[in-house]
Amino acid sequence: MTTTLQTPPTLIPPSRHPHADIIHRLEAGGSMLPDTPENLMQIIGIYKAYAVPMDFYWRDLLYIAEQVFLDPFPFFKYFISQEYLDRPNHYAGDTADLRIWRGRASAHPELLEFMEKGELKKKLPKLLHHLWHDRVNMEFAEECMRAMLWHRHMYAPVNQFDAYLDSDEYKQNADRAIRAYFKKNPVMLGLYKLFPDMFLEKVRELSYYSNLGLFWEVMAPVFFEMSDIYDEGGFKGVPDAMNFLVNGIFAIAGRPIYHHAYIDGECYEIIPKSKGFTWLYEAALPYVEAVFYRTSPFRGTKSYNAQANQVPADQKDFHYGILYADVFPVGTAGIPPTLLMQDMLHFLPPYLVEYYHQHCRGEDDMLVQLGITFQRSMYNVTSAVIQALRTALLYPLDDPNPKHRMANRKFFEAQMDRFLRPEARLRDIQSPDYR
Amino acid sequence: MPTIVDIAVQTEGFSTLVAAVQAAGLVEVLQSGGPFTVFAPTDDAFAKLPPGTVQTLVQNPPQLGRILKYHVVSGKYTQADLKGLKSLTSVEGSVIPLDLSDAFEVKNATVVMPDVEADNGVIHVIDNVILMG
Repeated sequence: MTTTLQTPPTLIPPSRHPHADIIHRLEAGGSMLPDTPENLMQIIGIYKAYAVPMDFYWRDLLYIAEQVFLDPFPFFKYFISQEYLDRPNHYAGDTADLRIWRGRASAHPELLEFMEKGELKKKLPKLLHHLWHDRVNMEFAEECMRAMLWHRHMYAPVNQFDAYLDSDEYKQNADRAIRAYFKKNPVMLGLYKLFPDMFLEKVRELSYYSNLGLFWEVMAPVFFEMSDIYDEGGFKGVPDAMNFLVNGIFAIAGRPIYHHAYIDGECYEIIPKSKGFTWLYEAALPYVEAVFYRTSPFRGTKSYNAQANQVPADQKDFHYGILYADVFPVGTAGIPPTLLMQDMLHFLPPYLVEYYHQHCRGEDDMLVQLGITFQRSMYNVTSAVIQALRTALLYPLDDPNPKHRMANRKFFEAQMDRFLRPEARLRDIQSPDYR
Repeated sequence: MPTIVDIAVQTEGFSTLVAAVQAAGLVEVLQSGGPFTVFAPTDDAFAKLPPGTVQTLVQNPPQLGRILKYHVVSGKYTQADLKGLKSLTSVEGSVIPLDLSDAFEVKNATVVMPDVEADNGVIHVIDNVILMG
C-alpha cells in the first residue's frame, strides 16, 4: 500500500519532467495537493458538502434508470419516491455489504431537511420548492451522466460496459423492456416500430444513469466517513486522506455494475450482474476520464464555431473537466459547475463557512471560493486514482528493484503529461493564495 | 497426474485461491477442460490486497470470476515456451504483459515457482494478484 517514505528514493536519478517536484512527491507516497493542514481542512470540508447532494444524486439516478425508465413526459423525474430515499446504501448502516460509513443507510438527515424546507426554511409542497428552484440541482448529475455516454470507448477494451451497449444481447434485453413498458400504449409501440434506434439509444442513456448512480452510491459513504474521521482527529495529513480513498477504491473495486428496470413490479435485467462488470473498470475509471478530465466545453467560455477551431475535433483532447476548469466565472451564465457549487453551498461544515468569511469577499464570493476548494479536493481524488492504479498495475513505492522504480516513474510522468497544457490547474493548487 | 485444481487443493499456501475458484464456480472448468496455463497467486499475494477487496469479490461471483479468468491462459506454456514472448491473451480477454529478460515476470508479479506440471496444463506460482488494465 502507499506509505509515506522518510527518505527520497535514490535508486534512480531525479526526474527531468516539468512537474518533477510533484512526481517526486507522488513517489514518496504523497498527493498532487501539497500536504498542509489548511489543504486538509478544505478538502475534507468540501467532501462532506459534496456527499450530501451526492446522496440525492445516486438515489435519483437509480430511480430514473429503474422506475421512470422511458416515460415520454418525465415531468416528475426529480420527485424521487420514498422507497428510494429509504433505500439502504450498500456501504453504510447495519445492513451494509461492506460498511464504509458508520452512519445510517437511508438518506442523510441534512438532505431530508433540505428537501423539506429548502433555502426558504419553510415547509412547502414539493412542487413549490421545485418551481421556486429551491432544490437539489439534479441537472448536474445528468450532465455528468451524459459526459460518460458521449465520450465512448474510454478505457476500452478493459472497460467492457461501453462495448456491451452495442451487442445483440443488449439490444434484445432492451427490446424486451421497451415492449413491456409500452405494452398498453399502442402509439409508443408504433413509434418504436418506426424508429427503433431512437428508443434503444434512450435505453443506453438510462444504462448510464444506472452506472453513475451505482458509482456515486459508493462515493457518498466514503466522503461521509472521511468527514467523520477528520472530526475525530483521525487524519494527520493530506496523504492520509488520499490513502483512505486508495483503500476505498480497492475495497469496492469488484462491486457489480448493472442496469435493472422495474416495469409493473417485474425486474427486467437489461445489463445483468452476471456480465461481471465491475465498479472499478466499468464505472470509476471511465467516470474519472469523462468528468475529471474531459466533459464538454463550457458554453460560456468556448466558441463552438467550427471555423474558430476552439473545440478539439478529437474527443480524447477534450480538457474541460474540473482539473482544468477556470472556476472564477462560477455563478455566471454558461458555466455548468455552478449547479454543483450551489448545491454544495447548502451543506458546508461551519469551519469552512468561517474560513471563507475570512478570505476574498467573504460571503459574497463563497461560490467561487468553494469551487476552488472543490478543485483542490478533486486533485486529491485524482491522486488517489493514480496511486491506486500504480498499486494495482505496477510496483510498491519502496520496491528495491531499480527497473520497477523506473516503471513507476514512467507511469507518473505519463500521468503528469496530461497537466502540461496551460489550462491545467495543477500549478495553481500548489499555492495557498489560489482561492 | 492430478489436474490443476487438484494440485492447488493439495498444496499448502493456496487456500484463498481455491476458495475463490470455488466461489466463482470455476472448479468445473479448470478440472475438466484444458490445456491451460494458470498464474496462481499464493495466499500471501492475496493478503497484500487492501482489506475488503477479497470480501467484495467473494460476495459477487461473476466479478470474482472475471478477475480469476485474467490469471488463466488457454494452451500450455512452460517457462521455456514463453522465452521471447512479450504478452499473452488471457481467458478474460485482456492482455498479460510478460518479461523474461532477467527474472520471470508476469505483469507486476514475479513467478516464484515456474512449471508445475498438471494433467491439463501448467501452473506458474506468482507473488502478486494481477489485475487488468
